Amino acid sequence: MLRGADIVLQCLRAEGVDLVFGYPGGAIMPLYDALDGSGIRHILTRHEQGAVFAAEGYARTTGKVGVAIATSGPGATNLVTGIADAKMDSVPLVCITGQVRSNLIGTDAFQETDVFGLTLSLTKWSCLARSIEEIPEVIAQGFHWARSGRPGPVVLDLPVDLLKATMEFRGPAKFTPHAKPADVHIGSSSCETLIALLEQAKKPVALVGAGAKLSGAVPELRRLLDDLNIPTFATVHGLGAVPPEAPYYLGMVGMHGTRAANMALHETDLLLVFGARLDDRVTGDPSRFAPNARIVHFEIDPAQLDRVRACELPVIGDLAETIPAFHQAASRVSLPNWSDWRAVAGGAERAELDPRGLAQPTIRFLDELFSRLPADSIIVADVGQHQMWAAQRYRSSSPRGFITSGGLGAMGFALPAAVGVQLAKPDATVLCVSGDGGFQMNIQELATVHRLGLPVKLVIVDNKYLGMVRQWQQLFYKRNYAETDLSDNPDFVAIAKAYKIHAQRVSEEAMSEFPVASATADVLDRFLQSREPELLVFDCQPEANVFPMVPSGAALSEMMFEKD
Amino acid sequence: MQVFHIRYRNTQGTLMRILNAVSRRGLDLPYVQAEALEHTHNVTLLLDVNPKQTGQLCRDWHAIVDVTDVRAGAPEDVTHAAADWTATPHPPSSAAISDSTTRAAMA
Repeated sequence: MLRGADIVLQCLRAEGVDLVFGYPGGAIMPLYDALDGSGIRHILTRHEQGAVFAAEGYARTTGKVGVAIATSGPGATNLVTGIADAKMDSVPLVCITGQVRSNLIGTDAFQETDVFGLTLSLTKWSCLARSIEEIPEVIAQGFHWARSGRPGPVVLDLPVDLLKATMEFRGPAKFTPHAKPADVHIGSSSCETLIALLEQAKKPVALVGAGAKLSGAVPELRRLLDDLNIPTFATVHGLGAVPPEAPYYLGMVGMHGTRAANMALHETDLLLVFGARLDDRVTGDPSRFAPNARIVHFEIDPAQLDRVRACELPVIGDLAETIPAFHQAASRVSLPNWSDWRAVAGGAERAELDPRGLAQPTIRFLDELFSRLPADSIIVADVGQHQMWAAQRYRSSSPRGFITSGGLGAMGFALPAAVGVQLAKPDATVLCVSGDGGFQMNIQELATVHRLGLPVKLVIVDNKYLGMVRQWQQLFYKRNYAETDLSDNPDFVAIAKAYKIHAQRVSEEAMSEFPVASATADVLDRFLQSREPELLVFDCQPEANVFPMVPSGAALSEMMFEKD
Repeated sequence: MQVFHIRYRNTQGTLMRILNAVSRRGLDLPYVQAEALEHTHNVTLLLDVNPKQTGQLCRDWHAIVDVTDVRAGAPEDVTHAAADWTATPHPPSSAAISDSTTRAAMA
């Protein structure tokens, strides 16, 4: 006979789980009581939001399912932001929440929250277990849905009495899903249509999103793009899928994308989308998005099609299957040479990438850091101006090398997510870039970093403002900096030292020379080469802005630049 | 107005997920009827939606794990079943207190 809690842990092991993140409390205590000897390592964060973001970081960098555990009531509600984040960014995540005793459910018992109802619209699947016998099936099904198709979050709500109850355990369950009629793949007629569209196109482009990476289709995609040789750009989550040095690559697209990428997208007559949702940060004004384009959309999730514009040809299915199928068909025909169009579209791009042409000290600072990173490094960016600067300057061809909260835009993501990333990749350099606002949203996770001795490299771009909001206030609200002033920030170096983490500052003036002075270079080298946790606070110009910028509601062609 | 018929396995929360796809868009739900049909369930919704919303809703419903079929059709003669208002109200209403009783209680 085994307790429900032991059965949960055995089922987790059967799903390949050996690392979980969580925070204990009353209704989940039996599970914690069973952890010792289960073969599962538990990472205690200092807040449930830290646990769920850490689980996300782990999942985003490995592709495995991340697991976060919390108790009922406030423990469960503190997971909600992370669950929403995982939904938006297609992260495989299983959240296990304790629940009050079954006979108390619905009575507003102490620490009772309807987490099942609360997360219905945020989860891909969820379940409130009603008997101990259900537990193996619930866990098997939860993991299946978290990792299958378009990955996403799952909530498993387990009443405490089920965790305490015992039964004869016959082993983990297997779950076989019902087939859905929409699970179709590219057929010969689709290939012929797509080839015909390409043959007619004068200005074709390719847009790469996270789906290309999540499906593991990056090698196939790169081979296809090498052959097509058409202007190509990536969403923030598509960064790394295409090598930045590829001659056809124009950088990031969207609100803070490159001029070349946005203009090519505006002018194209055929848009090939590979695993992207085409949200408003990518499209600008939907009614003026790629106004002359026919759209071919490679996508695993049919729900993402036609959200902004009707596509001429939907190609539904796993990109790891549909891209090679199309590539094989395309290789049998002679497609046009679009080198003239590529030259026009990419003309301005190389100058844009030259750091010497950039006066912005924060960009210089990030360039200096990024250029020192080993090839397998992972950058974890928080949300705000620093996130966009980091995305603009990201130059790695590592598909899972840039991790950020892109869809939900959840400030406070980076520090705990970096914990999960570093645990997943203990030998990799993990560079966590935050702003002064976001860092303080989960600053308590410095304790987790210290306890685990994780060699995470933490950077705060400290402009003493909620910078991105301030930028919008400057540009669109007549400089009314309402409640964005953080000039009374604490001393981050002192705070880090209180958590026993080495910290130092780099001034903006240090970035005024090119190349940087040897003393500054030494600071950066030592920071990145240390095998201890380190914090570097960069004093950023308070009113620095991120450009280019497509104002909200404008077309991609209506970018603002610094000189504007 | 457009009628939608959605077939689903009646697992936990599936009907609520179907309805959430409507409510998150701020759409009114003038008519909903869910019923068991042999081995599956069917919910019929009457909604005032434009063609773009129709497409989005159908795709969102189809993406729900236990939804098996989604169909959109012309408005039908969907009428509300007469509600049974003769049962005892719940929660029970307060007993009427006359003015004199109230005054006596407050004296």
